[in-house]
Amino acid sequence: MKIKPLFITTLGFLIGLSIIALILPFFDQLDPNTFDPDALGMATPPNKNHIFGTDELGRDIFIRCLYGSRISLAVGLISMSISLCIGTLYGLFAGYFGGLIDEIMMRIADIFMALPTLFIILIIQSIIPPSITNIMIIIGLFGWMGVARLVRAELLSIKERPFVLALKAKGLKNRWIVFKHILPHTRNPIIVAAMLGMGNAILIESVLSYLGLGVQPPQASWGNMLQNSLHYMRESPWITFFPGVLITLTVLSLNYIGDTIRSYLDPKEST
Amino acid sequence: MKSRLSFRLLIFIPALILITLISFILMKLAPGDAISSYMDPNVSIEDLAILRNQLGLDQPILIQYFKWLIQTLKGNLGFSIQHQQPVLDLILSRLPATLLLSITSLVCILTLAIPLGIISGYLKNRKVDHSITIFAFLGMSIPSFWLGLMLILIMSSILQLLPSSGIINPLLIDAALFTRITDISIHLILPVLTITIGGLAGLTRYIRFDTISVLNQDFITALKARGLSNKRILFKHTLKNTLLPLITLLGLELPGLFTGSYIIEYIFSWPGMGQLGLNAVFSRDYPLIMGILLFTGGLIIIGNLIADFTYSLIDPRIQTKKIS
Repeated sequence: MKIKPLFITTLGFLIGLSIIALILPFFDQLDPNTFDPDALGMATPPNKNHIFGTDELGRDIFIRCLYGSRISLAVGLISMSISLCIGTLYGLFAGYFGGLIDEIMMRIADIFMALPTLFIILIIQSIIPPSITNIMIIIGLFGWMGVARLVRAELLSIKERPFVLALKAKGLKNRWIVFKHILPHTRNPIIVAAMLGMGNAILIESVLSYLGLGVQPPQASWGNMLQNSLHYMRESPWITFFPGVLITLTVLSLNYIGDTIRSYLDPKEST
Repeated sequence: MKSRLSFRLLIFIPALILITLISFILMKLAPGDAISSYMDPNVSIEDLAILRNQLGLDQPILIQYFKWLIQTLKGNLGFSIQHQQPVLDLILSRLPATLLLSITSLVCILTLAIPLGIISGYLKNRKVDHSITIFAFLGMSIPSFWLGLMLILIMSSILQLLPSSGIINPLLIDAALFTRITDISIHLILPVLTITIGGLAGLTRYIRFDTISVLNQDFITALKARGLSNKRILFKHTLKNTLLPLITLLGLELPGLFTGSYIIEYIFSWPGMGQLGLNAVFSRDYPLIMGILLFTGGLIIIGNLIADFTYSLIDPRIQTKKIS
């Protein structure tokens, strides 16, 4: 299959963003909370010194956006990992035990899927202290259902393959077969779910932070940089514009890469 | 049909119970209790203890839950701290606006997603398909609240074409019915557009995949051999086959659609349940939060039941069973 140029672009964008996020603290002169004296504590439009302009307090939006990428990527990565662990284990257990246990476990997953998750996360965030760790955990705890379904479906189809029968004939324990031999086979849908899940987690974090229930200022996150947009948007739209574009590009890249991997793995698609 | 409906009820009744449990636990986790949020600080601790005893707040938590549940089932959702009004009245006064917004958005999403998805699947890997795909990916990835902000910026701040907030111009409240309907429709455009762009993406992609897989099936070849026009094959035979899974998917997307539209309501100051709910969250008005959480859960369940009912109406296999 031909590798699409858009795939390379999005992958490059994500890798570049991750590298910047990782090495950013080594550059002392890039401080997200420095007020530019020339900006006089006001929003200035994009110019030579500040390519994204400054926000309503005279802080450089470009540097804050770079620091925001650290938060957003970390929240996306860790909450996605939490969902993935819960979902994979849940799906494996349901599929492994089968029968009534499977039925009950999957109905519970259905019930969770029918919940207004975002609203519940908002309420929880308003009760507990809104630290970044809490945000990661809460987003992760409400995102496992899709992964669980995928893993279970994959497990059920792999269970029927001849190699599993061969392993059973060799007298291996079921538990061993599931974790040692079947689990690695489920990695493809898991990778795809991870990409989509990470994008989703980044979106949820941005909503939370936008509403003031997520990452707290002065720490910069893409969501909380938008917090006062409704007030400042008319006079200084660049404050609102750049963080949103970054969120969109990042989530778009994750979704696109996930979709490309999925269609690459799915032979029905490539025809 | 009956068995399918009752099966779905088996999922949704526990879901509703889970929502009541979650809202109750959340309220209990919240700092302070019903007494401390009403009382003035001058009352002595002994008097507070007596009050707690009278209100049953010193009883075991499970008993409190069931007492609360019984009251809830009777329609008594408590009293909003912030608005000083019964929660049920507040929610019911906001419900029509929420329903107007979400149903209009849903209709827009469906009328756009179905043709877009079918065209995209039929013209697979052509320019049209690529543009629709890129559009769908964008819609999936844009944070809807930011899209709303951008639309306000462009359409109402810069171009001054559309109103950016509210449901009706306050000056027109006493105007003639037709004027009011027009004004409400104009106010609807931006929020509906925001929700539609976000909700469109997933469904369009889904219908595209389904169209591709249906078009690969043997019966389509048979129809082509019989000389049916492409249009007829697409919009009659393919459409029918993509509609069924679509309805199930729609049921699954309802929770996201509702809670997503709550954020949009907040941004556009749409006087619905979502705006009420978010403001309740900001001011920690727990009775109101619980009431709105319950109502949202109820709406999702009703939506799913309607989806199921439609499913059984459309599915010919279920209909033939009914006839025989």
